Amino acid sequence: MAYLDINNVVKRYEGHTALSGVSMEVPEGCIYGLLGPNGAGKSTLIRIINRIIAADEGTVTLNGKKMTDNDITHIGYLPEERGLYKKMKVGDHIVYLGRLKGMTKADAVASMHWWLDRFDLKEWENRKVENLSKGMQQKVQFIGTVIHRPPLLIFDEPFSGFDPVNAEQLKVEILALRDQGSTILFSTHNMASVEEICQQITLLNHAQVVLTGSVDEVKQQHKKNIIAVQTPDTVEPNPEMFTLLPPDPVRKSDTRIKLAQGVNARDAISWLNERYHLTGFTEVLPSMNEIFIETVKSKNTENNE
Amino acid sequence: MNKLRLIIAREYMSIVGRKSFIILTLLFPFLMIAIGSIPILMAYMNDKGDQMQQIAVIDETGRYAAALPNDNKFNFVAINGDTVTNARDFYDKSKGSISAVIIIPRDVDSTGVVNIYSEGTIIPALESTVKNALTDTIESAHLAAMGIPNLQQIVDKAHVNIDIHAIKWSDTGDEEEASTDIALFLGIILSLIIFWFVFFSGTMIMNNVVEEKTNRIVEVVVSSCRPFHLMMGKIIGVGLSVLTQMAIWIVLLGIAGTIGGSLLGVSGAVPSPDMMGAGAAVTPEVEGEFASFMRQALAINYTPIIINFLLYFIEGYLLYCAIFASLGSAVDQASDTSQFLTPVMLLMIFSFYAAMGCAENPDGPMAFWCSIIPFTAPTVMMVRLPFDVPIWQIILSHVLLIITALAIVWLAARIYRRGILSYGKKASFKDLFNWLR
Repeated sequence: MAYLDINNVVKRYEGHTALSGVSMEVPEGCIYGLLGPNGAGKSTLIRIINRIIAADEGTVTLNGKKMTDNDITHIGYLPEERGLYKKMKVGDHIVYLGRLKGMTKADAVASMHWWLDRFDLKEWENRKVENLSKGMQQKVQFIGTVIHRPPLLIFDEPFSGFDPVNAEQLKVEILALRDQGSTILFSTHNMASVEEICQQITLLNHAQVVLTGSVDEVKQQHKKNIIAVQTPDTVEPNPEMFTLLPPDPVRKSDTRIKLAQGVNARDAISWLNERYHLTGFTEVLPSMNEIFIETVKSKNTENNE
Repeated sequence: MNKLRLIIAREYMSIVGRKSFIILTLLFPFLMIAIGSIPILMAYMNDKGDQMQQIAVIDETGRYAAALPNDNKFNFVAINGDTVTNARDFYDKSKGSISAVIIIPRDVDSTGVVNIYSEGTIIPALESTVKNALTDTIESAHLAAMGIPNLQQIVDKAHVNIDIHAIKWSDTGDEEEASTDIALFLGIILSLIIFWFVFFSGTMIMNNVVEEKTNRIVEVVVSSCRPFHLMMGKIIGVGLSVLTQMAIWIVLLGIAGTIGGSLLGVSGAVPSPDMMGAGAAVTPEVEGEFASFMRQALAINYTPIIINFLLYFIEGYLLYCAIFASLGSAVDQASDTSQFLTPVMLLMIFSFYAAMGCAENPDGPMAFWCSIIPFTAPTVMMVRLPFDVPIWQIILSHVLLIITALAIVWLAARIYRRGILSYGKKASFKDLFNWLR
């Protein structure tokens, strides 16, 4: 049973359709990647889940119940374009955001202290936001998102603007929140981070879902039956079993073979092992980046035809 | 409701908690006094700065030159008429040491004409000094020439200075002294206060909305509350800060009034009524004017004026500030607001001039219609109020204004919730219209 269930959501604006029948099931306690090129409809979908805008058709179900306005207290949302009131004090600001999400003042203050401590921002509590560096402001925004410990977290490009050290700290925090049971919807262009932390993904393009599933499944579906073989010998092609591919630009020493139709990897490896000195072999799975580009491009060509 | 309160509190504190607000609120009255006293100060400096002017007086009659009083500005020097045949030559020969020549002709008694000659401009102060001095002197000379004993005293007794007291018949048959001047002045001041505060808060709200949009806090906030709450929280929060400011000024005014009043009370005790007829001719007159001012000022019925002022202020504030908030939501940066701002500004400025125009004729058709039409009602009705507007007109104007203000708030909220989330593309009036649907 999915924690967040989006069913056939449609949103139209004057002149264009932002979402045309999008469905998505986010299981409880997982990190779910929402991917797609610019203008695919990710932000619109996120705003609908946050009830900032209303869908024209379709339903959003949270924990088995149709979402109402009161459910926004169960969500923490970090938008891609995010800011803070520059003139407010850091502590007051975090407490304000927590109370807007329905916390009592005492709870919000206690939680604020806990998080500021965790991010080493304790001595900044009474400073104005405008005195903070950009990286520190990003941390304050993150704290403002999670202060009320929501069961559902939505991060839109959370790592943009973070340096590698802070990005790593953020990643650790996000994983920790998942381990504590939060469900996390994660929208990004950064495919490397998707491979690192997402279990499942949905790829939107032109207002529609074009790809969905667990990261491993998706990779298996898109694999090209390519094997990278490490050997000091020169491998001759065998057209019945495999063709030779030009070497990988990064790993030049690998010999890359593409299996012919119907040939399984085991047979090819044992065939090679009998003739050459193999030091290692790996099945080459496509990166999420390749899958993303391939899927988006092929769909665009389809649409143009 | 809880969230709305939170937002109001944040907006309010973000203004009232600022050091600049506290400083400005306390300094503003002094600033106004300073600005008000600049003309007086300048006049004083003029008096001080001018050099003493030498004025030659050629008195052909030989009787009136002495009547011209020397003061710190003018020094009148009588010159024997026979020795000077040509005034122009005399002036030229002085090489600028004399600034003007006055010729009192022989037939001044019959013609009443005196000439002042100069190459420079003749300043009004010289003209009036000469005129006042010679008029009185020649008048007394005429009276004396008639040979009737004590004529001067008889004339002085006959001399009257008509003082108009406007008396208002109240419904109970009492007579109240009322001054249209004081009532009008009060109306214009209150109208100005409404205009100024609505304008000031409106632009502040608009800039706040633009700022929230440009620093992208808005999406975080509206993921926790309805856009309507954010908009209303802002409007109400700013409104309360304005009322706070007004309250502080009223308290300051009260303190100043008490101090001023006690000071006046001390000096006012000196010329008691039985002393009035005696020597001091000026003080009782001033005192009498002040007393009549106070009597008339106290005769105005303030309760309905204050209640209506607060109502019109709140209603007009809501009406215009909702418009300003929605305009702020439609743009990405403050400099883009001008295209939307122009029509609103024209409307506001019209309402201001309509109010000033209605001061001339507070019972005319223009005053009537402008005090009923919601967009001009707050400023215009405040000017009309001291003149006993029929109660049905006041009620009608309030009802229409409240309905319009609520409708505008509703429409503004629709524009606002779309506007705050739309970036990049510059919105047009057509877009605003689309967002309404």
